[in-house]
Amino acid sequence: MAANPQTVVDLVSTAAPRSGWLGAILRFVRQRPLGAIGAAIIVLMVAMAATADFLAPFDPLATDYGAMLAAPGAHHWLGTDAFGRDVMSRMIYGSRTALMVGLGASFLGAVFGSLIGLGSAYFGGRVDLVVQRVMDVFFAFPVIILALAVVSILGTGVGNVILAIATPMVPRCARVVRASALSVREMPYVDAARASGFGHPRIILRHMLPNVTAPILIMATAFLGEAILLEASLSFLGLGVNEPTAAWGLMLRGAAVEFAETAPWMAFFPGLAISLAVFGFNLFGDSLRDALDPRLRTQ
Amino acid sequence: MAFYIFKRLLAVIPTMLGVAVLIFLLLRVVPGDVVEARYLGQGSQFQSQELMDIERKKLGLDKPLWNQFTSWMAGLARLDFGLSMWTGSPITEEIKLRFALSLQLAIMASTIATLLAIPLGILAAVKQDTWVDYAVRVFSISGLAMPSFWLGILLILGMLIIFKWMPPMVFTPLWVNPWENLAQLIWPALAVGYRYCAVGTRMMRSTMLEVLREDYIRTARAKGLWQKLILTRHALKNAILPVLTVISLEFAFLLGGLVVTEQVFNLNGLGMLFVEAISHRDYTLTQALVLLVATAFLIVNFVVDIAYAWLDPRIHYR
Repeated sequence: MAANPQTVVDLVSTAAPRSGWLGAILRFVRQRPLGAIGAAIIVLMVAMAATADFLAPFDPLATDYGAMLAAPGAHHWLGTDAFGRDVMSRMIYGSRTALMVGLGASFLGAVFGSLIGLGSAYFGGRVDLVVQRVMDVFFAFPVIILALAVVSILGTGVGNVILAIATPMVPRCARVVRASALSVREMPYVDAARASGFGHPRIILRHMLPNVTAPILIMATAFLGEAILLEASLSFLGLGVNEPTAAWGLMLRGAAVEFAETAPWMAFFPGLAISLAVFGFNLFGDSLRDALDPRLRTQ
Repeated sequence: MAFYIFKRLLAVIPTMLGVAVLIFLLLRVVPGDVVEARYLGQGSQFQSQELMDIERKKLGLDKPLWNQFTSWMAGLARLDFGLSMWTGSPITEEIKLRFALSLQLAIMASTIATLLAIPLGILAAVKQDTWVDYAVRVFSISGLAMPSFWLGILLILGMLIIFKWMPPMVFTPLWVNPWENLAQLIWPALAVGYRYCAVGTRMMRSTMLEVLREDYIRTARAKGLWQKLILTRHALKNAILPVLTVISLEFAFLLGGLVVTEQVFNLNGLGMLFVEAISHRDYTLTQALVLLVATAFLIVNFVVDIAYAWLDPRIHYR
């Protein structure tokens, strides 16, 4: 029932001209209500990040020592933090950081992971063996510990955090892509390309890559939510994005825990933002996976 | 089978060696060392270079890398983990203090996760595409979405506001005062267990859906077996293996990977120790911790593999 090929057909037919854009969206909402909710959250988040300059009532970095730890009210809708910074404005700007880190890390992770996975499957033999053993080594580290190790080498900051989060994602993407690429390698068109005398890079990128885009896309979407969560964890530990950048994990750190009892809004709202964002990406990712490739459902 | 076990054990060695080399090199690439972390951290920039060099010599940090690595390996071969560079006490002592807490937390969290995940996953699969299924899926995706440290903050805050009670902040071993111990650890276990229950539930749901489409389930239905019996005897038995795999692999990581949750609940476990060790540039301790977690992971991986062959007669290993 769940693996009905119908879903794929429907997804394709949404592009049919007669239904149009609105029809396509309506159909997606009807067939995958959870995925539609996820997509709505993502659209909302992207819109928030894009219009942060207009949307945010205050400068996210402006301190107001007259209104420290102010409770949510008419002036500061979601209250202020220990420096008198507006929580809502910081949350709105925080979506930029989250999106930047999430997209950056999953893009990097997917690119390097796919190249390694494709190369490993294509060349096979000894190359494959060595690459797989190296990947095994990376698998034996908990994700957060690998990210922590990279951060302590590179230092904190948005760029370094992106690299740190992409690192543990590379081997996982490589493993999934390799599994799909193994069967693609056996396809006659790959033999044909080789017989035509094309070079390895061209065969890998032009002939194999397009045929493993579904698993790559699925992995990348799954990474997005996880990357946002990981960024929040690193920032919470003080090893992620630097103050005073507006980042959700950072907002949960320090004073938010210290004054949790008297000023719970400081800890509550940023955490809610993280949860909602990851929730949205996961819901959407799940639906995408179901639609694109029912065989990958078990992963 | 015996040959397979032997072969699998042999394959663990290069991975372990790889982990050891990787963490050894990673740590040396990190700027600064333990001596700098100690002296400069105190704000006394006037420490003489000679004093720091003497200190380095004492710790063996002046030796070539190759030399440091081989002496570490030689120690490991004798099961000697050496001394912590920061505190100077034996690493086994440092780890032993925290291991009980981390192990107990990992066991509690995995138990909670398993007990919730299996029934919820089955329920969602049986009632696929109904509101029950949606509710379970939303519940489990929420578990994946909520940072467990935030859930921890909310739990503590909730108890503080509603019951005017806060979980004890000082760790009491289970054998000293079980009540006090559980009152502290049940909350982090819940916060973490919820997340892993979510992972397990999703796995349970999808494998169950797959199994329910198998021919032998249709046969069982056709011969008029009770739904309950079909689910427990025929379906669950075949669907549960991947779920147990996921949960047991997570278990290994729970041992050392609860860095953030331990911070929130002020638990002095292996995760906290790891962060301290890395910020102190305590090479020996960090190396030992990483190796410990990696070993746990590889052992669990190995046991799961063997268990598969033992539990599922369809799998043959050569």
